[in-house]
Amino acid sequence: MLAQLIVSGLAIGSCYALLALAMVIIYKTSEVLNFAQGEMAMVSTFIAFMLLESYHLPFALAFVLSLVFAFVLGVTLEFIFLRPAKQPTVLGLIVITLGFEMILYGVAGWKWGAEQKSLPFPIPDTSVYNINGVIISQLSVWTFIICLSLMIILFLFFKYTKLGIATKATQQNQIAARLMGIRTKRIFSLTWGLSSMIGAVSGLLLAPITTLDPNLMMDPLLKGFASAVLGGMTSLPGAALGGGILGVIENLFAWYLGEAGFVFKSVVAFAVIILVLCFRPSGLLARHYVKKV
Amino acid sequence: MKLRKNVVLMIGVAMAVGLPMLLNCAKKEVGVTDNEIWVGTWSPQTGPAALWGSVARGIDCYFKMINDEGGIHGRKLKLLIRDDGYQPQRTVAAVKELVEKEGVFGFVGGVGTANGMAVKDYLHTSKIPVVALATGSKLFGDPPTRYLFALYPTYTTEASLLTRYAVDTLKSEKIAFFYQNDDYGKEGLKGAEDRLAKYNMELVAKVPVEIADTDLSSHALKLRESGADAVIMWLLPKQAAMILKEATKIDFKPQWLTSSTLSDVDVMYKITEGLWEGVIFDNWFELPNSDHPLMVKYRAANDKYAPKERWGAFFTAGFVFAEPFVEGLRRAGRNLTREKFVESIESIKNWDGGISHSVNFGPDLRQGTNSIFIGKCENGRAVRISDWMEMEQ
Repeated sequence: MLAQLIVSGLAIGSCYALLALAMVIIYKTSEVLNFAQGEMAMVSTFIAFMLLESYHLPFALAFVLSLVFAFVLGVTLEFIFLRPAKQPTVLGLIVITLGFEMILYGVAGWKWGAEQKSLPFPIPDTSVYNINGVIISQLSVWTFIICLSLMIILFLFFKYTKLGIATKATQQNQIAARLMGIRTKRIFSLTWGLSSMIGAVSGLLLAPITTLDPNLMMDPLLKGFASAVLGGMTSLPGAALGGGILGVIENLFAWYLGEAGFVFKSVVAFAVIILVLCFRPSGLLARHYVKKV
Repeated sequence: MKLRKNVVLMIGVAMAVGLPMLLNCAKKEVGVTDNEIWVGTWSPQTGPAALWGSVARGIDCYFKMINDEGGIHGRKLKLLIRDDGYQPQRTVAAVKELVEKEGVFGFVGGVGTANGMAVKDYLHTSKIPVVALATGSKLFGDPPTRYLFALYPTYTTEASLLTRYAVDTLKSEKIAFFYQNDDYGKEGLKGAEDRLAKYNMELVAKVPVEIADTDLSSHALKLRESGADAVIMWLLPKQAAMILKEATKIDFKPQWLTSSTLSDVDVMYKITEGLWEGVIFDNWFELPNSDHPLMVKYRAANDKYAPKERWGAFFTAGFVFAEPFVEGLRRAGRNLTREKFVESIESIKNWDGGISHSVNFGPDLRQGTNSIFIGKCENGRAVRISDWMEMEQ
């Protein structure tokens, strides 16, 4: 039973991890928490739904197109809403993302309605592998693989590519980076697009487990945020690890505490945030970053 | 000169006070004119519970049908819908606006337990009749209050009768209960526990779920571990769909039973990708696909007045909530007042003129219906499999 709880925890944890990755990318470059992350993913998932249901495109094409949409959406948000902000503080930018979140939520409710929908997904959530009595669904296996490979790709991207290093430089010192010839504004747009895309992947993987409606990402986003804090807001492997750990903690907590455990299952995420902030504010894998004055 | 000024002033004051009074004379009662009755309702047209917004649009469709048939004693019904986004504080604002600014006669079919509770006292002290809130919470009909009429059988009644069906007809011996951890779920839980106590039985598992839960795998494992042969669910559609998927994954296949809130088989079958097949549910008014003569008529009204609305359970619910309201108006006659209206609703006894069963009100009775029937999802369609079952008093 323990093995089953851990495996199921890791499966949902991968979805949290993807959202955490998306948040971390933005936080890494601009120290902004993007509260519209979930709604951007939700709208992108609805785009995939629309392409599949109304235009009957093959799944792969719909998947790719919705990711392209997500990228454009991310860039647009940065370009139209964040960039014009005059002498923005980080807090001001966060409030802008909150506003954008509300706009997207409203638009989704108006365009697609509040009724639950089912996203036709090629890998059914209910076909499973049974390994010595431990059951894992095909979809979960794929989610796990996708999450891990995205994490590795992003890690390599930030570490070894010129663009990735430019991104890092932008985060550490914007003015110096600009003086070195890095077009920091483009870097920002790029990271928002990238983050939005990864968020959309998590939305597309979550929709078949739950149901598709405008509230799709509301709670997963909070879990993703908790995972990111747990792993360290600036560390990509940390985000992935945080998601996995959170998923497992949730499951074990619910199981071993019985009825009360189930009542507080989702609250565990917040307890985790508080504990981490008390004892290791920089998270599990991030180095404590002290700004010198 | 001064005198003339004073006269002008006095005429002005007289007009300011007198004109509205003159206009008011034309009104028999607040919200009632010679050819209209103004009725208010609140519902979530936006936000997380917008799914239930169709209740209000169902009422509107029903009113349009009544109006085209000539209205009630020469008056047309006018429905004022306010969107509260399922937030009680917005319900309060909307209801106050409808009462104090628009001046509605009464309310019909407001959605939500917490939302109803938020305005219950205000409406009572303002002496404004409210008929049939769209919630099965026990908090509205008991203890009885003069101006508030509950129609929906309580969740406790529903769960009790559903459990009776599981034990008596399905011969279930191990029943588990999977519920949303709030008043809605707990009232259902109580109904099932009380009923089982009569058989000297107990639930083999009680598993709560929070709306915020994104992963129900551990819940499914717990239910499987209990060895239940039947699981009763008191949930929202999303969690119901999720638990069915999780249970299928771990090969747990009990008989699933659920409440009227999940009786929209078309939606449930679709979002569970067919896993809803065989699920048993209860309902307290005719199924959307029923061939009851009134349902045939209502479907025609749906096509005529609201062709874009799907003929689903919540839209139909609008009709059932509006029925006793309109019946009360009919009985009250042409000289309509709120007090007279309350008395005429109280005169409704064993009334089967609508799509629910045996509506009963009285001077001390504010819980309109106590009957349900059982339905089942067969080949993706809702099928009725029992006669009306009434709660023993």
